[in-house]
Amino acid sequence: MGKRVLIVDDAAFMRMILKDIVTKNGYEVAGEAANGLEAIERYKELKPDVTTMDITMPEMNGIDAIKKIKETDSEAKVIVCSAMGQQAMVIDAIQAGAKDFIVKPFQHSRVIEALNKVTG
Amino acid sequence: MSSEFDQYLSTFIDETKEYMSTLNEQMLLLENEPDNMEAINEIFRTIHTLKGMSGTMGFSNMAKLSHRMENVFDLIRTEKIHVTHENSDLLFAGVDLLEKMTDSITAGGTDESVDISQVVAQYERVISGEGMEEEPVEKTKETEPEQDDETGSDSPIDIPQEILHVLKQGKDTGFKPYYAKIKLEEGTLLKSARMYMVFHKLEELNSEVLYSKPDVEKIEDEAFDREVEIIFLSKLTEAKLVQAISSISEIENVKIFVLTVNTTSGGKKMDERENSEQAIEKIESEVKNTPVMNNSDFIQEEEAEASRRPQSASSKLTRTIRVDTEKLDTLMNLMAELVIARSRINETLKKYEIKQVDESLAQLSRNTSDLQNIVMKIRMVPISYVFNRFPRMVRDLARKNNKEIQLIISGQETEVDRTVVEEIGDPLVHLLRNAVDHGIESMEERMKYGKPSTGIVRLDAKHEGNNVVIDVQDDGKGLDREKIIAKAVERGLIDEMSAAGLNDEEIFSFIFMPGFSTNDQVTDLSGRGVGMDVVKTSIENLNGSISVESEKGKGTKVTIRLPLTLAIIQALLVKVSNLVYAIPIASIDSTLNLPTSEIQIVQSREVVVIRGEIIPIVWLKEVFQLSVDDEKENIHVVIVKVGNKKFGLVVDGLLGQDDIVIKSLGKLLKDVNEFSGAAILGDGSISLILEIANIVHQNV
Repeated sequence: MGKRVLIVDDAAFMRMILKDIVTKNGYEVAGEAANGLEAIERYKELKPDVTTMDITMPEMNGIDAIKKIKETDSEAKVIVCSAMGQQAMVIDAIQAGAKDFIVKPFQHSRVIEALNKVTG
Repeated sequence: MSSEFDQYLSTFIDETKEYMSTLNEQMLLLENEPDNMEAINEIFRTIHTLKGMSGTMGFSNMAKLSHRMENVFDLIRTEKIHVTHENSDLLFAGVDLLEKMTDSITAGGTDESVDISQVVAQYERVISGEGMEEEPVEKTKETEPEQDDETGSDSPIDIPQEILHVLKQGKDTGFKPYYAKIKLEEGTLLKSARMYMVFHKLEELNSEVLYSKPDVEKIEDEAFDREVEIIFLSKLTEAKLVQAISSISEIENVKIFVLTVNTTSGGKKMDERENSEQAIEKIESEVKNTPVMNNSDFIQEEEAEASRRPQSASSKLTRTIRVDTEKLDTLMNLMAELVIARSRINETLKKYEIKQVDESLAQLSRNTSDLQNIVMKIRMVPISYVFNRFPRMVRDLARKNNKEIQLIISGQETEVDRTVVEEIGDPLVHLLRNAVDHGIESMEERMKYGKPSTGIVRLDAKHEGNNVVIDVQDDGKGLDREKIIAKAVERGLIDEMSAAGLNDEEIFSFIFMPGFSTNDQVTDLSGRGVGMDVVKTSIENLNGSISVESEKGKGTKVTIRLPLTLAIIQALLVKVSNLVYAIPIASIDSTLNLPTSEIQIVQSREVVVIRGEIIPIVWLKEVFQLSVDDEKENIHVVIVKVGNKKFGLVVDGLLGQDDIVIKSLGKLLKDVNEFSGAAILGDGSISLILEIANIVHQNV
């Protein structure tokens, strides 16, 4: 049984892409969330092994969501997803406790490398 | 790769379209309230998402443009530049291009057919103009080549005096000074964030970075190639440090040495450098060979839990699904056929009066009507789908005409059939253009007449019975009755004598005649003489009607009435002579059975008086030139409503109410305007559906 991934992104399209990448590489999708608030709830409910977190989202952004998730589970493993040119935000996310980051457009190998490293 | 992505295309398009409408909405909001942080953030977020999505799909033009736009909005967000009237046009231009690319992609093309170079160049000017002050972009470029030289070689780095001092002190407190050279993998994105992870990791391990080459600022600016050298203090062993740093993604290799500091000389000396390097090589290989460790107990527990979880997760995920509209159309057609079949069964079995069948038939009828309602509802979409693009359009038009216009939209949540939504767009565009171009006066003119300089155009939608009513109203100069009469006379549509006897409504209806335009000036948008007649035809093709009210100097209101659905309607079946006709229930006020003697003649017209109301009557058998039976004692009158007026249609008998499926009469009969279509009845016969408004107009 593969490790369980929670996918957080406001764009259904991006979720679909990620879902495809992770399932093709032996991971299991535990659930999805479309914003930070949803992510926190899903996280508590699903206790995923690893979470991929988009940064810019409505309702609550990924950085705040990471902070909140870390409050409930200091061991939470979160990988931030960012588009190019968002260095500052990625750095904020890492400060907030993200374990790694991946950059859109996603390279399959990078996504998997990040997942393997973080869950390893 | 791209063929693999084909399957994502439709989701991409759907979602992108939603984002485009958000962008337009928020941009308008932002233009009116340039400091609206919420709007700015929403736009920034939307563009950011678009960038990621288009990049993933390989639409590089789109990704490029949205990247620049995102940069510009980042400057706006951080209040380095402000939204003004002037630059909002440039921002809108970007939105337009994104929209164009979306359209092109939707049409099966790519984003490359759209030329973005000009707008991108303009954005770059905005970005660099601003960037000069905040972050010296030039500096970054200068340092880069120099950078390469340095990092390419293994030349020892110079350590500033003050750092040497700290190194010396650190030695006394148990911290060992280290030198590390970290190389990122080729093609690493967001290098500075990656490098930051290294610093962050060291910090977590209670290590203190004293010095880096290039310096932190350059790292933040991504002004480095792939290598960074650092000097730091740590209590950990070299092996631990190498392991920690190599656990970070995209690190090609790490080299770490202990530094020995010679305080007397000005520089540093690396002790046993060769040896250390070998040691590190060994550690590295160890790290690589170590399998990822898993606690098997943990996995088992996890599996048990996992089997319980997924269902609950997926069931909560989505409440909506996307369905191809073609499928919905098919569903609607099948539904229509089912309604016909039901009527036929009803009709056939009625004769036998079998009780058991009656019950199940009643059940079937209930079920089909429920089903029909649901299918209709599925096809309903809020009219906001059409209305959403208008604020932007009116804004552009107003600017072009140098007018100030406020568009007030209400009732955008009103739901209408998808077909209506598709067809109503163009007529509304035309009406709004007319309102902006010809309706609303210039600012000076408005001031002169004591009107507020900002003109108001209202767009309203609401449900009324089985109809949806859309009003387009402006507070402009109104229609010029005299001008219309003059034009009508000139065109030989009417003579002056009879024109005097016409009321406003009748006069205004001339503007719906083909080629009729009172505007002398032709703008590029409207006033070409084709217009209102086209609008009228499109509305009528949707089985709707259009009317206009106007008061000179106060404004004009155009009202469009459309049936909620175009496929199935409820109708009253009536008999005239021995033929069956269908009258849409929506236009019926009431039915009466009157003694023939109650018909009166008023101004040489036949009328009946009902509850004090004088109602003109029309004998349908005369209209259709059917054989006239002998005079009866009683007549059946169907009172219908057209606009605000009532008329009575005389029929020979009322057969009952039924759901009918409207079938078009086809092209050959398109000039027949007494009928809006035909329907197949339960017994398989065909009934014509009356177009009440036209019958009444032609016969009263």
